Amino acid sequence: MVQYILKRLGISLAIIYIVLTVSFFMVRLMPGNPMAALEAQLRVQGGMTEQEIEQRVQTVYGLMPKAPLGTQYLDYLGNILHGNLGRPITNPSTTVVAVIGSALPWTILVVAVSLLISFVIGVYIGNRMAVHPGSTFAKVWTFIVSVMGAVPSYLVAIVLLYFLTGIWRVFPSNGAYDVGVTPGFNWPFISSVAYHAVLPIAASVITSFGGWALAMKGSAVSVLGSEYVRAAEARGLSDRVISRSYIGRNSMLPMITQLALAVGFMFGGSVFVETYFQYPGIGYYMVQSVNSRDYSLMMGCFVLITTAVVVANFLVDLLYPAVDPRIAWPSSRKVAATGGEPTTETVALVAQGGV
Amino acid sequence: MRFWSDLRRILWNDKPALVGGIIVLIYVLMAIFGPMLVHISSVQNASDAYAGPSPQHLLGTDALGQDVLAQIIVGCRPIMIVGVVSAVITVVVGVVIGLVSGYVGGFTDSALMRVTDVFLTVPGLPLIIMIAAIVHTTNPLVLALILSVTAWPGLARAIRSQALSLRSSDFIEAARLQGLGLGNIVGRQLLPNVGPYVAIHFLLGITGAIYAQVGLFLLGIAPISGTNWGIMINLAMSQGALYTPGSALYLFSPMAAIVILQVAFVFFSRALDSVFNPRLRVQ
Repeated sequence: MVQYILKRLGISLAIIYIVLTVSFFMVRLMPGNPMAALEAQLRVQGGMTEQEIEQRVQTVYGLMPKAPLGTQYLDYLGNILHGNLGRPITNPSTTVVAVIGSALPWTILVVAVSLLISFVIGVYIGNRMAVHPGSTFAKVWTFIVSVMGAVPSYLVAIVLLYFLTGIWRVFPSNGAYDVGVTPGFNWPFISSVAYHAVLPIAASVITSFGGWALAMKGSAVSVLGSEYVRAAEARGLSDRVISRSYIGRNSMLPMITQLALAVGFMFGGSVFVETYFQYPGIGYYMVQSVNSRDYSLMMGCFVLITTAVVVANFLVDLLYPAVDPRIAWPSSRKVAATGGEPTTETVALVAQGGV
Repeated sequence: MRFWSDLRRILWNDKPALVGGIIVLIYVLMAIFGPMLVHISSVQNASDAYAGPSPQHLLGTDALGQDVLAQIIVGCRPIMIVGVVSAVITVVVGVVIGLVSGYVGGFTDSALMRVTDVFLTVPGLPLIIMIAAIVHTTNPLVLALILSVTAWPGLARAIRSQALSLRSSDFIEAARLQGLGLGNIVGRQLLPNVGPYVAIHFLLGITGAIYAQVGLFLLGIAPISGTNWGIMINLAMSQGALYTPGSALYLFSPMAAIVILQVAFVFFSRALDSVFNPRLRVQ
């Protein structure tokens, strides 16, 4: 068990390290590299000496622009370990970490709630579709789910915006809460937050539950013919007990693995949803920073989104042994690996729906 | 050919898939011949803005009084080119890495799979956005390359698990005993056996690339030049289509074009899936 956790932890840290390194070299070595671009821009604006320009670049990126690449790289890693991601180019009076810190809770709120809702709805529908194939329920939902899985989330967002904020002003079209309420643990604030989160969550759920339903159906169908299900039927257990406790529980295993992948997709997808609903999460700031060429903020958002995804993956890895104890015991790892591996079709479908 | 007769029979029995296939075909024809037959008129006439459907403008007009339908038809080709090119790159990279990794095994396998895992974990869309923002290209081929950066790992994993199970089969053993080289075994023996995965992932790759590139145009991260559906929606939104009465047709037409194509691809790929996977037909 300890060995399992350490291995997962090692992989997670390695991925974060690789992402940090790649981001660094992207900023430094890409054609039209952003640090040089900032220097050139400041030079064109005029009114600053070379030294001031250098200092400005240094405050923004936290690096000495003239120092050798190796030194800069070490400085960069050191800064990050101290929680310093530099300052936004467009607003050097605050720090990237402060901006991201204020944005992160909103993204986590929307991603977590919509992931939970779409997972529960999708698993329920998928289970029903698999247990009663050929029923009207299965036929209708197979169609709906296939169509919804193919519709991009940003288009759903636009449709929701058009009808629910443009034509009928049912929901607010921007912000995370009303300007008038004071943030804190009070009812007006909480209800305002919930009210503003409805549309972003709805847009994510509508486009992602289909993927879950199809994946669950695929997983449940593969369990359907197993001997313990037939044994349960032979013992005369009711359909409800069989479909929930025997088919449901066992077909959930591959779904948990996919939950880990889905967190990444949801964080990625939040870029669109947050931008369209002008919801102040990380995705929103990432697009804002890209459009205003604010590379330091953009890098910060990217590093943080990746870290959040890796951490979420790690947490799911920790959760997995609780669901399937075989995973954590090396002697039986092989059994679990062959049994729990999701099929390519289901992965592809979840990838489709969840992006 | 066995494949075509199977495909025909399955399409005949699965009407949604048949419709999907026909729609995909129409879009392909539209991408090839559309720009030759239809031209966006250069006449801009603001007094004609947001006109409703009429015989001259079947889908009405945009903010500059230009025909929406013509833009939809002309905008098909750039979307399809990027989608297909990106899917080709994805499939080539995914298949080569998957087959080599699964067949060779050992250190090569674990090294390649670690790389694949990193790409699988890093959230795709933010990575694409960041690369697109830094590279900032109008070249469709470069755009396709960027889009496939995050698309290949899933396929590589699937192909690898296929190659793993094929590795110990008799015909591979025979090929090895004959002393055939790695290139021959991977290219001539293994590749034909993963054909179904390649075909289906090719279609899924196109839909994924269309999804991502339209998204990039919508967010304004890919430079706006020319006409395609993403640019149309972007312009419609930035011209305040949400709050402009009469602009519904202009805003929703390109969206419908995308949704219809994506849904058609999904239904068609389902038929292809059951052609290649006879066990799916049992259900």
